[in-house]
Amino acid sequence: MRQENYDKMTGYIIENQKKFYRLAFSYAQNQEDALDIVQNAVLKALDHYESLKNYDAIKTWFYRILVNESIYFLKKNKKEIASGEELGLEIPYYEQGFEPSDDLYDEINQLDIEIQNIIKLRFFEEMSLKEIAEITGDNLNTVKARLYRGLKMLKQNIQEVNL
Amino acid sequence: MNQMDHAKKRYDDTPIPEELNGRLLGAIEQFEGKKAASGQNNTGIGKRRYYKWGLGTAAAFFLTFTAALNINTAFAEEVHQLPVVGAIARILTVSSYKKTVGDEKVSVEVPGVEFIQNDTHGLSKQINEEIQEICSRYADESLERAQDYKQAFLDTGGTEAEWAEHKIEIKVWYEIKAQSDDYLSFVVRGTESWTSAYSQEKYYNIDLKSGKLLSLGDVLGEDYINKANDGINSQIEEKSKEIGIPFFTPEEGGFESISDETKFYMKDNGNPVIVFDKYEIAPGAAGAVEFEIKR
Repeated sequence: MRQENYDKMTGYIIENQKKFYRLAFSYAQNQEDALDIVQNAVLKALDHYESLKNYDAIKTWFYRILVNESIYFLKKNKKEIASGEELGLEIPYYEQGFEPSDDLYDEINQLDIEIQNIIKLRFFEEMSLKEIAEITGDNLNTVKARLYRGLKMLKQNIQEVNL
Repeated sequence: MNQMDHAKKRYDDTPIPEELNGRLLGAIEQFEGKKAASGQNNTGIGKRRYYKWGLGTAAAFFLTFTAALNINTAFAEEVHQLPVVGAIARILTVSSYKKTVGDEKVSVEVPGVEFIQNDTHGLSKQINEEIQEICSRYADESLERAQDYKQAFLDTGGTEAEWAEHKIEIKVWYEIKAQSDDYLSFVVRGTESWTSAYSQEKYYNIDLKSGKLLSLGDVLGEDYINKANDGINSQIEEKSKEIGIPFFTPEEGGFESISDETKFYMKDNGNPVIVFDKYEIAPGAAGAVEFEIKR
């Protein structure tokens, strides 16, 4: 049974690799880091494949790892910039505010990470709110509230997008 | 097109680097290598990812083909006799049953080989026992998987009525690939209607002259490895174009060489056809891939 789950899991990963890459790229915004994120997520999934008790949950299970890996990457990146200061390098402090852009894709990437996740999973990966709640580990109402807040910030008419 | 559709299009159009697939296959290889090397291999994860039926698994089974024919009259009535092959051997359905367990339908058709000639060195007995074992094991395991699947479905909010619509079917059957005066070639298959991940198949190629199982070496001669590899390499590109999917490169874990475990069956014209499992040398979308090798 373990071998079978393992085989199905590697099959799932290989088949859906492009989707994983697109999501990772949306966070990293460069190819090398996006490849690293996906690769690390896959290695983590393989290491912990025994914790996947039920294969039918593979999608949310794997996306959870992938999203966490992306968040970890973003945080680590921030830290590296910060640690430059300790070395005496002058790095201008740059507060990333929300700047309206012509392109909603760029605007989404400026949102708080928790809101970004939800909007990307909902509209780019077309997942249900229930699936998203499983991935982010929040309850359904939190997910909904964050989604509305995000859309409001993006000035997206809720009627216009298909919830 | 609204702004969100526009953003999604930009997302969907993210260029995919070519090395992505190689990186992931590399990560999988690395993981399996690590597992195998660290000796924690009690999980069953090793280099060989593709489950294969081995010979000699039938040791515990003593239900012989002839005994089954004589004892079980109900199934004897169901025996479908196929044409006698070159008057030397024939293949027939030795047992066939359909049952419904809950909503799950199971249909099993177990083939057996019967040699008219007596001198088969116990081969027919060995083969028939093994086939019996394979078929019953597949049906049992598959049913267990179906039950697990059902439990998971109900646990996650599905209802019995919705489950019934899944039409779960488990099928074990066989296909004759070639039958001539010289050989008998057939495949035993098991499939499940809800996933292809557990599909299994085992090929049998019997040399009727010697009463032995054929190897690729018997068919292609001493230089069989090179002959088969050349044949495959010369066809890969064309096949890849035909189905519109690039095969894995050797670095990505794609085709490098056949081995003595490579699966094949015989065609009536005497050529062997080499079969690779789904995922073995090409992405899953390509399915199983076959190459006919000219002798």
